[in-house]
Amino acid sequence: MKLLAKTNRIYLTFSLVIYLLTAIAFYQIIRLVIYDEVENRLRVERRDFEAYVRAHNAWSNIPYFVENKINVTPVRGEVPPISLEIFTDTLILNRYDDELIPFRQLTFYESIQGKIHRVEIRKSLIQTYRLIEVITVAMLLFLGLLLVGNFWFQGKLSGRLWLPFYDTLSRLKRFDLSSVTALTLDKPEITEFRELNDALQKMADKMQQDYRSLKEFTENASHEMQTPLALINATVEQLIQNEQLTETQTHWIERIYQASRRISRLNQGLLLLAKIENRQFSDSQPVDLSALLSEKLSDMDEVLSFKQLSVNVQRTEPFEVQLPVSLADSLVMNLVNNAIKHNHPHGRIDLVSTKDQLCLSNTGGPLTSSPERLFERFKKESAGTDSVGLGLSIIRQIGDSYGLSISYQETAGIHCFRITKVVS
Amino acid sequence: MKVLVVEDEQGLAESITDYMVKDGYVCETAATFREAEEKIHLYTYDCVIVDLTLPDGNGFQIIEALKRLLVTTGVIIISARDALEDKLKGLEIGSDDYLTKPFHLSELNARVKSLLRRRQFGGHTEIRFQEIVVVPHTRNVFVNGQPAALSRKEYDLLLYFLSNVDVALTKASIAEHLWGDNIDSADSFDMVYSHIKNLRRKLLEKGAADYIQSIYGIGYKFSQP
Repeated sequence: MKLLAKTNRIYLTFSLVIYLLTAIAFYQIIRLVIYDEVENRLRVERRDFEAYVRAHNAWSNIPYFVENKINVTPVRGEVPPISLEIFTDTLILNRYDDELIPFRQLTFYESIQGKIHRVEIRKSLIQTYRLIEVITVAMLLFLGLLLVGNFWFQGKLSGRLWLPFYDTLSRLKRFDLSSVTALTLDKPEITEFRELNDALQKMADKMQQDYRSLKEFTENASHEMQTPLALINATVEQLIQNEQLTETQTHWIERIYQASRRISRLNQGLLLLAKIENRQFSDSQPVDLSALLSEKLSDMDEVLSFKQLSVNVQRTEPFEVQLPVSLADSLVMNLVNNAIKHNHPHGRIDLVSTKDQLCLSNTGGPLTSSPERLFERFKKESAGTDSVGLGLSIIRQIGDSYGLSISYQETAGIHCFRITKVVS
Repeated sequence: MKVLVVEDEQGLAESITDYMVKDGYVCETAATFREAEEKIHLYTYDCVIVDLTLPDGNGFQIIEALKRLLVTTGVIIISARDALEDKLKGLEIGSDDYLTKPFHLSELNARVKSLLRRRQFGGHTEIRFQEIVVVPHTRNVFVNGQPAALSRKEYDLLLYFLSNVDVALTKASIAEHLWGDNIDSADSFDMVYSHIKNLRRKLLEKGAADYIQSIYGIGYKFSQP
């Protein structure tokens, strides 16, 4: 749920509850005030009534010509105390329009000509009820308007207030750690957002710097390693010029030599992987991979005929991809080397390419591990070979970095590498 | 032939020098940029082998200075960086070759020889070893005056041997010389063997002595029997 939607929802519920409570309280207060007023007036009339009875010692209906205003009835039986005063709500049928009309009624007892009478004075509430209705409707209307207005304003305001936040968020999403462009964030006037941006900026800069120094470290370490390796190789080469070497010594020297060559190849492989990851290659350009592959296969004719492999190329259309030239070369070289290395004598290599996909398959033994795992670094299908186990990782890394999907599967002794373009 | 080796790794410079001196070169070393600069201003060299990363400067600057002084000096870059940009830049400013570390001394030696041949005689020179004569610019091989029909790889192999006479060559260095760095060694060693067998057969057929000796566990050596 979006932040603004959430705050709006909370605000709306809260306001509705508050407004409803306010409306109820308001209604009650108005009713209370009006009843108080009516009751005060009824008390005044009671005093008028008592004064009249005292003066004339009798009771006449004349001053109360309005219907239902007063009702005087003699009391039989037990007499309640004179001081009693009871207010009640009552409904009385209107004679003219046959309607029940609300009245407030004051009941008290009065002695007229020595006899106790029950006196009921009434006041119509019809006016006050209308008043309450009008006030309530008006209030609801105004409160509703206020609610909608507030809601609208609040939405607008939040949108504006949170604008720097959303801006920061979208920039963060676009931020690429490995790119050279640093993260640039605005300095909004709201302190919290400014502090947030400052903190993020600092973090991003630090991250980028760490990433860069790690990258540089890997690169430098690999480079620095090449020189001592060159020294080992050169020394070994000098050592083997010695003619008095025994067989055991030769064996040891050979082992040193092989190991140092392996390290060197490992190093070059890792360096290449790091460079692809860091996108340290010059601009991509259109490369016809299928043409490059068949060219490389014909370059390897000697190895192919030595291992008695037959090559079958079916190219209908060029399979063009965007790659830096040197990486296209690495990719093709690794694919071809792989197809040759894991083949068996008298095997075959097939290259089938269309406009949208390229498939290089070779015969070979059945796989013992999952094909996906072979793309991982240092994963080798066969132990003890001279390979360092980086070839397929390099293939995959090139694919990942330049929008190519490279899959590998084995069915009935046919190993197939399929390259397709990833539609972005 | 005078060669200058500009390399800050003392051991490596020593190895290169030893190898070159054995082959009859006059070899000097410079471990720093300043030293190298001084030497190229004082003396003339036929070939300069330059490491790109030096403690106090860049190998490219030495090449540029060298090319200003004497254009005919051959330049071979040896670098730990295997970057296309570096190779292109090197060629652009006048270097003749680029070797990535680690390299084989025999390969470096072969490259130096090939470079010097090209530089000094425009490639129009013959390489002679006993009864074998190689004419590089036409890629012909004669044994006792008789032309020998060698395949492209056999020719390259012979030339590599002739550049490193009396030197034990590893199978790996031969394989890489013939097929480049990316060759997979397991297969290539067998291929090296079959090429050497063919070359030896062809030379023997034309009446040459058997110069190719195999050294157990290491590789091959081309020398007087």
